[in-house]
This record gives sequence, structure tokens and C-alpha cells, in this order.
Amino acid sequence: MSMARILSWVLALAAVGWLLVFYVVGVGSTYRGLLERIQASAPIGFIRVENGWAYALGGLLALAAAIFVYSYAVVAAGNARHKRRKSHWPLFWQGLTHLFMLLFLLFIYYPVVQILAASFDPTNSLYKFSTPQTDNLLLKARVIPDFSNASWENYLRLFDGIAVYSYQWILFLAAAVTLLGVLGLAGYRRLRGDAEENSPWATLQARLLMAFAISAFVLVAFLSPAQFTSQNTEAKFVLWIRNTLFVSGLTGLLAILLTAPAGYAFARFTFPGRYSMLLVFIFIQMFPGFLGLIAIYILMSNLNLLNTYTGLVLAYSGGIISFGTWVYKGFLESISKSLEEAALIDGATKWQAFTRVLLPLSAPMFVFIFLLQFVGTYSEFILANIFLTGVDSWTVGMGLRNFTSGQFSTKWGLFAASAVLGSLPILATFYGFQRYFVSGYTAGSVKE
Amino acid sequence: MHRTPEGARGFLIAVSLLGGAVLIAALGGVLAFGALQGAFPRSLDNAYPGYLLLLFSVLFLAPLLILAARLFPFITDWYYLLPAIVFLLAFTVYPIFLTIYFGFTDYTGIKSGKADRSTETQIVRLEGTQLVLASDAAAALRCEAQNCAGERLEVTSETERATVRVVSSSGPEVELESAPPFTPKFVYRINTFKYIGFKNYMGIFASASSILWPVFLWNVIFAIFAVLVGALPGLVLGLLLNNKDLKFRGFYRTALIISWAMPAVISAQIWQAMLNVQFGPINRFLGLLGSYPIPWLIDQEWAKVAILLVSMWLGVPYWMTATLGALSTIPDDVYEAAKIDGASPRQMLLSITLPLLRQPFTPLILGSLAFNFNNFGLIYLLTGGGPAAAGRPSTAQATDILISWAYKTAFQWDGGQAYGLGGAISVIIFFITVFISLINFRVTGAFREVR
Repeated sequence: MSMARILSWVLALAAVGWLLVFYVVGVGSTYRGLLERIQASAPIGFIRVENGWAYALGGLLALAAAIFVYSYAVVAAGNARHKRRKSHWPLFWQGLTHLFMLLFLLFIYYPVVQILAASFDPTNSLYKFSTPQTDNLLLKARVIPDFSNASWENYLRLFDGIAVYSYQWILFLAAAVTLLGVLGLAGYRRLRGDAEENSPWATLQARLLMAFAISAFVLVAFLSPAQFTSQNTEAKFVLWIRNTLFVSGLTGLLAILLTAPAGYAFARFTFPGRYSMLLVFIFIQMFPGFLGLIAIYILMSNLNLLNTYTGLVLAYSGGIISFGTWVYKGFLESISKSLEEAALIDGATKWQAFTRVLLPLSAPMFVFIFLLQFVGTYSEFILANIFLTGVDSWTVGMGLRNFTSGQFSTKWGLFAASAVLGSLPILATFYGFQRYFVSGYTAGSVKE
Repeated sequence: MHRTPEGARGFLIAVSLLGGAVLIAALGGVLAFGALQGAFPRSLDNAYPGYLLLLFSVLFLAPLLILAARLFPFITDWYYLLPAIVFLLAFTVYPIFLTIYFGFTDYTGIKSGKADRSTETQIVRLEGTQLVLASDAAAALRCEAQNCAGERLEVTSETERATVRVVSSSGPEVELESAPPFTPKFVYRINTFKYIGFKNYMGIFASASSILWPVFLWNVIFAIFAVLVGALPGLVLGLLLNNKDLKFRGFYRTALIISWAMPAVISAQIWQAMLNVQFGPINRFLGLLGSYPIPWLIDQEWAKVAILLVSMWLGVPYWMTATLGALSTIPDDVYEAAKIDGASPRQMLLSITLPLLRQPFTPLILGSLAFNFNNFGLIYLLTGGGPAAAGRPSTAQATDILISWAYKTAFQWDGGQAYGLGGAISVIIFFITVFISLINFRVTGAFREVR
């Protein structure tokens, strides 16, 4: 690197550094820095340890030192036994990495654990003034949740007064059994190291997954608001989950229906204007759908589709068309044309070649497009918020918001319980189909 | 096999065939809707829903498409594209153009082009083009002008409605430009919205120093830093986890992904609870480290820090995964060759790994920038745009970004909705997004990829 380049980097870094310092400590009396904005007073029940950071830092340094001693001792002992000269630094470095990872895990999981704890706490004590009677500082400050009074009350209130028909119990059982079967098979295959797509166990697993999807879909589609007999808002939680799954599932299906033929045409046909149309497709993809939010709202209002799931699904549908078409086109281009050409020579039409030959091969891609749209829609808030009115048609996100922005009381326990339950479908989907997400999200430049 | 005629001519033929079919079908849908209402009239309170129009149009479209396929066999190739194109046009492109149009009007929740039900007045009789009302027209209809000249009125019977224009009125008598096609019973004044040119934009730029520029500045800072605070720790984690000797690396990787896997709509709200000033678990933890309660979400500047903190929590697993994915494509022999040449681990990192990461990271960074630039959900659910900033309206507060400003203007304006102004703001965002997209196109070479 040349001197000038280094100098310019140093100058730029120094400028940014100065700005940050001023932002944190403030500039005289004209601008109050971040630190000056903290009032030096603790509310009742707030536990503050003077210079606690020094203890924490000291503890971390002590841990690092212990890791150093450990790695030095282990490597030295090994060297002595095997008569070799290996450095202890790699082991020490690994130990430090573990320490760093654990700290990061703490950061990532702290909110998760806190919300889990709050969901099992019927007294709302996450937001209480009084502190638990204990000598343990961490427990007393409620940094570590106190599970001694844990109960299912919050969860039970979410399921209060739901009248379930017997056929729904049967479907529920079927869904649960098939899901367990899929998970069991996945575990079994992983243990046996069976990674083949066409092994009999894999086929069985795919069929079970299909059965699960169908029973879950029927269950979701036929659950009606009339079955929720409780007067409490929170007892509609299952209905909100159902609404969200219904909308997300339909949007995902619609995405496949719209993008599959278009991707096929772009991949296999040669027609004038193909190139420019592809360009338009990817250009449109770069716009967040809700830039046209106001107009979509007015449009749906004129079509009397506000507060209907049809309207919401239609409004979502624009979002993935370009990306899905683009991805599916790329997928088809990676498949050899010889299979379809054989079919075409045998007298099949293009449509038959598409539906009989290519569609069965495309299942993984459809799963990806579906999941992408499914997960994205599940997390969507803004359109749902203006489209859907009335407790019965809310989605999970809207229901959650109702608990925390209630005018009279904030129901933290219920909020926490429904946040936990509401996350489960997506967490399960994400972890279950991790490789699809990882490859898909990081390959394209989309991120929900 | 039939093929579309070559060149621009073929393209135009195909597009005009498809466009013609869709237009005729839409026209047929409108006519069928009118015919339905005419044949089986329904009262206005229980009118036929508007989506029947869509259904009828689709019913008309099917035979038209079959007919077109008979006459021009090559057109069937285009049918595969038709659903995607129609949906894109109807629910993405058309709304964008409509929004641009709204940006030039004074469209609000009140001036909505709909009849004002509070001006309901009974009609005594209709004589030619003259309506005789039950009371004084100008007062009952609350006209702007003394004689109601130029006002648009909605007249209704039980099953029909029509829009008429007023020539003049005196007392209870109203002279219309043309007589309604039926005998009306009630009349309402229509709150029209009108084209106002660049007034919305002039308003935005006139108050730019207190609204547009601060919001835009924060928007840019937010987008850049949201990417940085996610990407830098994610890069570090990815590099650390790429060490094949490290135990539990699979576990760390899977466990850390949770904040990416959680639905953002839920995690944003969880964080709102975590960051509560008096009771929030984050402040309780910091209290143990010796901090007084930090005014997250209450103080203007701390709210921004809070947003970036949550962006970090949300973004790190994504970037960690992206780093690991990119690193897995670098072949091992590159490092082995470097080792033989006597390179230190630090040198390998600086001159092999990081430069090789640049190419796969560029599109991801640009995509993430564009995403965060319009990351409405996070801002709206975490801070709601607040806390209030002095000298700024409730629609553009301390942490509002452009898109949340547009949203709040359109739907949460003081006492109503300002669709026109919101549309104008959307158009400004639109131009900025086009700009970012064009850079993205250039840098990632999407143009070349298509060929």
C-alpha cells in the first residue's frame, strides 16, 4: 500500500472516530451526547452494581487466563509424552473463540430466554417493581429468570373456550403423527448417513410430509371464527395463527402457480422481446411492493376486497413474481433439454412436456419458492395492518401488537406466550428446510 | 411448431394481441357487471361487490384466449407468461403509476371522490333537468359557492346511483347539466379531489429543512449502519467458525441462526419489550454492569442506537451464513500454496480471504442496503418512528424513515388520511430506490447475466 493511501485511510478513520466520540460524550452545551442523556437515578427495584463492568471485565480476563493456563498445560503434557514441539497458541485461540461464541450466544439468546420466562409467568412479574426475595444477585435483578412460580396459565388463556369438532381432532392427530414420522425418519436417515434423494425411506418421508401438509391445510382452511366462544381477545390467538397460515399458504401456492409457467417460457422458448422482458422483470423486483401501498389500498377498496384474505393474497402476489420467475428460469436452464425433446418428438405438446416431464423434476425449486413466500408473508405487517380490520381477521403480528399497545393494560404474559407459540411454525419451517433458505437467501440479494 | 414472427414486429403483434384480449375482457366484465345490476337490481346498501368485475373479466378472457390461439397459433407460447405479467401489471406496476398520479392530487380521506353522506338531502321532484330539494340547496349540500355552480352531486334511488354536475341553484331548486337516467330520491354532494400540480412536492421541499432532510439523512445512516453492524460481526463469526479444528462449530452455527429464523414481526415486538426503560431485561442486565437505566426508545438518540442494536441482532446470523457460504467456495489449495510460500495466517486473511470475499459480498451488501433503506417493519414495530422530535409533525418523528413517513402521512395524518401527500413522498422514495437499483444493476452486472 502506498503512503498516500494509508494516510487517507487513517484520516478517514480519525474523522469517523471523532464523530462517534462527540456523539457519545457530547459537544459542550450545544449537543448532549448519549451518555449525558442517561439520568443518574434508578427506579425502585432497579438493581445497580457500582462499577459492575469492571468485575465483569475482570472475570472475562480471568477466564481467558484460565484458558491460557489450560491450553499451555495440555499442550506441554502432550509434548512431553510424544516428544514433539507443538505450539499451544492454536488451542488457546480455540478456547478464546469458544468464549467469544458463548458471549455472542448470550446476546442472541437473552431476549429469547426472557420472553420464554415471561410466557410461563402468570403474574406479569417481568414488569413488576418488587424484586424476588433471594440472595442471588442475578436472580434478584431478574437477569436470570425465576421459574419457581412457573405455570401454563398464559398458554391456557390463549386456548380458552375453543370448540373443536371431532373431525378436527382426527385431522390434528393425523398431522401430529405424520409430522412426528417425518422428523423421526429425518433423524433415522441422518444417523444412517442416508443422503440419497431416491432411497425408499426418502420417498416415505416425502409422502408423509405431503400427508402432513394436506391435513394441516384442511385443518387451517376449515377452522371458523364461530368456534372461538370465549369473550376474551386473547382467546382468538389460534384463529390469528390460522389466518396467518392461511394467507401465507395461499400466497405461497399462488407464487408457484404464477412463476412456474413464466419461468418455463423464459427458459425454453425463444421469442422476440425475451431479453427486455427479463430485464423488466428483474428491475421490478428491486422495488418494495408497498411503495404502491396507497394505490393498492384504494384499488382493493374499490373492488370491495378490503378485509378479505383474497384481497390480501392478491396484494402480496406481486412481491415474488419477478424473483420466483428468475430463480425457476435459472433452475430449468440447469436441467438438460434432452428429456423434453424426447417427449416432444414422441408427439407431446409443449404443455404436456412442461407438466409431465419438467414439473415432477421441479419439486425442490417449488418448495423453495413456496417457503420463501410463506415465511415472508408470515412476517408481513404493514399491508395486513391496513387491510384487515376486526379481531377475527387479524394476523399473528397484529394480535401481538394488540397486547402491547393496549390502552389500559399491557398483557406481557400473554404477549410472551403468543410470541413463543407464534414463532414456532416459522422456526420449525426454517430449521426443517434450512438448506433451502441458506442457499436461496444468500445466493440472491433478497432478504426478508 | 409455430414461432412468433421475428423482431420488434413479432413482439408488437404478440403484445397487442394479449393486451387486446385483456382489454376486451375487462370491457366485457364492466358490461356484464352493469347488465347484472340492470337485470337483477340490488339496493345500494347491499350492492354487488366490485370483485365480480374481476370474475366476469376472467370469464370473458378464457374464450378470447382460445379464439386467439386458433387464429394465431404462435400466441400460445405467450400464454405461459400471461398470468405473471397480468399480476405484475395489476398489483405492482399499476399501483405504482396510480401512486404517482395521487402525488399530483389533493386526495385525502375526506376529499376521496365519494359522496358525503352527511349532506344527504331529500329530493321532492325532478322536472326536466331541474331538481327540487326538500330544503335550501346551498345550505343542505354545504356547497363552496353560493349557487353550488360546478359542484358534483350523487343522486340515488333505491337501486341506482348516478353522478351529475350542477349548473346553478337558487333556494331548493338545482339546475343540472343533464338529467339523471332515473327518478332519484336523495342527493349528496361529492367531495372531489383534484389535480393540484406540484403543490405536494413544493410543500415537501418548502419544509425540507425540518422534515425531508433530517428524515432522509437518518434513513441513509440507518441503512448503512444496519448493514455494517450486521455484516462486520457476521464476518468475524463466519471467519472464526470456518476453522475446521473448532469443536461444536455446527452447533454454534445452528444455534446462532435463531434470530434470523424468528419472524421479524415477532422479534421486533419482543425487542420493544426488552428495551423498556424501567423494567426491560436489557436495562436490568446493564444495571448489573453499573449503568443507570438507559432511555432506549424514549430518547431521540438512544432510540436510534436501539434500532441499530436490534438490526445487529437480526442481521448477524444472515451475514455469518453468507460468509461461511462464500468461504466454502474458496479451494483449500490456495491456502496450502500460500503456506508453502511462508505466508502467516494474518497475511493469508488480508491478502487471500478478504479479497476473495469481496466479489460475493458486493451484491449481498447492495441488496441488504436496499432492503434496510425501506425496512418499514423494524422501525414501525420497534419505535413507531418516535420519540417525538421538536418542530416536526407526528408523521415524521425522530426515528421515522422515508417509507414510514409516507405510510403515516397516508394513513395516520392528523384527523384522517392524506393519500395525495403520501403518494408524493412515495414517488420521492421511488426515485431513490431506482437510483440504488441502477447502481446494483451496474455493479452486479445483472444486464450481462440475462444474456
